[in-house]
This record gives sequence, structure tokens and C-alpha cells, in this order.
Amino acid sequence: MTPLKYSDETVCALLDCLIPGEASSGWPAAGQMGLGNRFIELMRLLHRDGDQLLQSLFNVLPDDFADATAETQVACLAAIEKTCPTIFDATLKACYSAYYTNPEVREIIEAKTGYEARPPQPQGYPLEPFDESLLDPVRARGPIWRPVP
Amino acid sequence: MPKAADIVIVGAGASGLAFAWRLATGLKNCRILIVERGGYVNQRAAPSLTPEWELALQKSFHANPNIRCNDADYPVDDTQSVIKPAFFNAIGGSTIRWGAHFPRFRPSDFYPHKLDGVAADWPMGYDDLVAYMDINDQMMGVSGLAGDTANPPRSPRQYPPLASCEGSKRLIQGANQLGWHWWPADAAIATTDSTTRRACNNCGPCGIGCPRHARASADNAYLAAAQHAGVELIQHTVVTRILTSTGQAKAIEIRTQNGEKFVIDLEHLVLAGNAISTNVLLSSMNDWNNPLLGKGLMLHPTAIVTGFFRDNLKSYTGPFATSIVSQQFCETERKRGFVRGFQLQALRGQGPLTTALGGYGNPIAWGRSHAKGFSQTFGHGMSLTVTCEDLPEPVNRIEVNKEKLDHFGMPIAKMHYRLGSNTERMKKYGIERAQQWLRAAGAQKISVNPLSKQAGFHLMGTAPMGVSARDSVTAPDGRLYGVANITIIDASVFPSSSPVNPTSTLQAIALRAADLMARRLSAQ
Repeated sequence: MTPLKYSDETVCALLDCLIPGEASSGWPAAGQMGLGNRFIELMRLLHRDGDQLLQSLFNVLPDDFADATAETQVACLAAIEKTCPTIFDATLKACYSAYYTNPEVREIIEAKTGYEARPPQPQGYPLEPFDESLLDPVRARGPIWRPVP
Repeated sequence: MPKAADIVIVGAGASGLAFAWRLATGLKNCRILIVERGGYVNQRAAPSLTPEWELALQKSFHANPNIRCNDADYPVDDTQSVIKPAFFNAIGGSTIRWGAHFPRFRPSDFYPHKLDGVAADWPMGYDDLVAYMDINDQMMGVSGLAGDTANPPRSPRQYPPLASCEGSKRLIQGANQLGWHWWPADAAIATTDSTTRRACNNCGPCGIGCPRHARASADNAYLAAAQHAGVELIQHTVVTRILTSTGQAKAIEIRTQNGEKFVIDLEHLVLAGNAISTNVLLSSMNDWNNPLLGKGLMLHPTAIVTGFFRDNLKSYTGPFATSIVSQQFCETERKRGFVRGFQLQALRGQGPLTTALGGYGNPIAWGRSHAKGFSQTFGHGMSLTVTCEDLPEPVNRIEVNKEKLDHFGMPIAKMHYRLGSNTERMKKYGIERAQQWLRAAGAQKISVNPLSKQAGFHLMGTAPMGVSARDSVTAPDGRLYGVANITIIDASVFPSSSPVNPTSTLQAIALRAADLMARRLSAQ
């Protein structure tokens, strides 16, 4: 396997373009969080042909991608999304996976939504018991299944 | 490695384990052996206990074996199928990664031809299976509420219904406003503690295993009881060939994890994998063929309609697939423009990553709007599946290419599947009803995924049972016409598909087939 040729700056710019965050509301940009290595790792973990996809991605990204304006970067990725959907979808999946499993991002989600930054188990979540009285109107209408003659 | 067994069962999934237990309890002095290509999954250490649990859904617990690529998985050629295969290879089969939604087929589901002139009637009816459904419910442990007005009266459920989340309440309000049927879903999920299971704690992702064993799986429900009754199990072993002689199965050829090959002699062979693996195995017999085999694949085409609510419903809490269902539209009403019907099943929301990746629809847009899109979506959505009863059309089929072999040396099966016109009309009507329901529930925005592609969970048909060898592949007891010592108990024997999930009915058929075999062999 030939070693991948890419620059950290390109990966950072790529991730920032996909998830630029929203500074005004406290959402960080994916590249600025230093998720580049994690992104590469997840491209390999999530996709059977991860290295090949990465190579294809870096082949289609222009060499000066990191130095381009934000508008140019967006246009470039939109073109890749249209012309190379397999590469783009795999890239997006790894980028989102790196971002939304990041502990810092999970803390932000907890602060904003109440969804705790912990695994679902072993704690689980409390919910109210089912209220049977809600079924009264359904019961009042009677059976609707079709008997077989 | 055993050299011989009286009865060999291929597959330790929902039907294979149920069958093995029932047969072993009814038939003494008989060596029963299960051969399973997968291994034991320790659900006590499920990924839901770890921070990166959502990655498991994308890879090691992905529904599609072509994406998952675990050691036991075999490739399926799905290039000619709009719906992709979804099954799990392990002890417990696909019940390791399911949502445990546990409805029963209804009386009219067994007579699509008699009632509506489509498909073929089953050689058995609801009344023939109800006692077995009750036994199976006891073994699997089902929560819910008897008295569903869309179904015949049934025995009390083993556990009270699952808890309600805010999203379910909105949907209930909407259904009651429309005057539509709804009912808490029957779920193979324990809602109170027992000696072996702890009550569901609403964690959500049932599909990556349940560390509390609240959500049932066939291994937890049946394996220990089957082994106690004398059943033996070989795991990590693939059955590669059926060896026949003079119209009888005589032995199977197997391949272990280390690549070693053995032959096991047998008196009776039971196929309990799925329609794909069963078709592949049957193709290995040199002196048997049936032109009907492989045809009439049914997959429950499903649209998913998601409503987004202004407030945060925290819809990521609660078992993802088992909230409430509506069977308002299950029965035929010809003025709708199609025959048969569909079920609407509520799905709760998902974790942050799965939500960003699109959940049941398209990914949240990348770029400047991403943060806003996530904030408006996560915890705000409730979905409805439109699960359509599929009809067995010959063009939808499984083909086995003997020239193309996988890494186990087995021929690769190819799925050919497209939606029939009746199903398309049904799905369109169902999407409109789902939208109507979500609007009545107060959704501000609605998105439609017109066809859930990674959803070929219910592989039905291709070896249908029937009373005549002329138009069926298997007899009413699952025995293969032409090779009477092979019995099929996976869902490939279904002559039609119903609009509801098949596992409860599948296991009831397996229990019944075990009783019929025990009776037959005891009389010999």
C-alpha cells in the first residue's frame, strides 16, 4: 500500500468546510477541533476500502484547497458531492462520526439539549408508565380486524 | 466434531433455536445438532455501555452484511435490488440486532387469495398457530396490552406496555383526533425485573444488543432451555453443501473457522437460516431442482415519514422501534386503489451521530446551515414507518451464481428486487396518511424517505409452502417436496407477507413444525 499523500491543512480545511460550526451559538468547527487524525482513522474503520477512498478524495481535492476562499471550498465540495458521490458520502460519514462522538462536542450537546454526555447504558432514561386511559376512544370504536369466512 | 446426528439444524436464529428446543422436549433419544456460522454475542458488554456506541451502528452492528463485514458474514450481490439485505449472523441470528417489535400476523394475512385474489393462501390459518404464538410469547417474554381492536383477542402479555415518551403522546393525541386505530406495540422487551432479565430502562438503541437482557433475543430465550433438553451446538461453522443420494439428504459438508472440512451424516436436515442462505444451500444439491425455488421474494418495502416538532421532545429516549402502531390501514379497502394494506409504526429519535447522518432519511446538510439543522432536528423528530404488505411476484427473486464463490467457498446469491405497482400505490397512499397523522400530532415540518433502502430485514418467500407440489416448494409442515427429509423453517416458506413484522409468526411456525416432526418420528 502506497502511503497516503495529504497535508494536515487540507484535512483541517475539508472538515471545517463540512462542519464550520456556528461561533455565535457555541458550535465549534470540526477542523479547528483537531479532528483530522480521527477523521482518517474513521475513514479506515467505517469503510472496507477506506485507504482507497482516502486516496481518491485527496486526488480530487485541489492542491490549494486549504488556501482557497470559503466560497471556493464550498463550490469544490459541492462539485465532488455531485460527481463523486461514493467518495463524498464516505467522507461525510467519517467527518460527522468524528465530530459527534467527540467528548467536547457531546458536552456542548448536553448543554444545549439536555442529552447527557454519557453512553445510554447502564443508566438509561426515566419515562412515564403507559396511560391506558388514552385508549378509551380506540376501544369505544370496537374491533376492526377482518374475520376469515 | 460429531460424525453423525439424527437431526441437524442449520442456523441458531429465531426459528432454529425455537425449533430445536421444542423438538428436543418432544422427542427423546435423538441427537439434535445445530450448526451456526456465527458465534456467541455477549450482550452484557453491548456497545451501548461505551461512549462510541453509535459507531457500532455504522459498522460492527450495521444491518447490511455487505457493509458490516464481520467474520461470519457472507456477501450478497444486491446490485439488482432497490432494498438491501439486512440480517445478522450469530447465535440468536437477527434477534441480536433487532428492535423486538413483536406483532402477530392477523387472520386475514393467511388468506390473501381467498379474500382479495392475490398471492396464495397459506396451508394453515391463524387458529392453527395461536397456541404456538402463546408458547413463544412465554419464552420470549412480551410486553404490551391484550385487547387490541385490530387483532383477535389474545392472551395477557407477560409484561405491562413500554413507557410513553413525549413524542408517543403527541402521536397518540393525533391518532385520537383523527379517529384512527392505534395501540401500544407488542414488544419482546421486559418492562419489569425477572430472575434473568432486568426491566427495560429506555436507553434507546436496542439494535446493538441489550446488556440488561430486557430486549429478548432467541439465544437468551431458547438456547439454555434447548441445551438443557440435550441439543448440541457447533458455532463458527459454515454448512457448505448438502450431500444427497436417492432423493434423500444423507449428510452435510461443513467448514470450520480454521478452514477444516468435515462431513456429518444425518437422518433429517432442517434449514433455519434465511431465504438467501437457504437458497444457496439448496442449490448445492445435485439431484434436486424446483423451478419455483427462489421466486417470489418479499421484503416489506418501507417508507419512513418523519415529523419535526418545535419543542425538544427528547425523542432519543425509549426503545427505538416499539412505541405505538396503527393498523387502521392493514385490511383491504379497494377504493384506496390497491389491495391488502400497510402498518404505521412509530419510531423514536436517535443519538446525535445517527441523527446527523440522517437517521431514517437524508443526512443533515453540511456547511453553514449544519449547526442550525442539527439543533432543529436532534430530539425533535418522531417517525412513522409505512410498512407495506408485499406480494410474491416471480420477477423478485434470489438467484444463486455457482460460478462466483465467496471466501467460504460458497456460491454468492443475487437479489433481484423492485417494487410492484400495487405496492407503489399502497406506499404512496401510506405516506400521505403518515403525513396526515404527523400533522394532526402537531409536527411543524415533515420529511419523507420514500423507500428505506437498508431495510431488507424481512426476507420472506422463495420456497413457499402449500398443499400441492405443483405450485409450492414446501409442504404445510415445511418439508421440501421431492426431498422429504429436508424441512425448511425460515421465512422463505411464507406464501405471503402480511404488513407486520414476521418474527412472532415465524417462531410459531417453527414450534409447530417441531411438534409435527416429533409426532411423525415418534410414530415410526
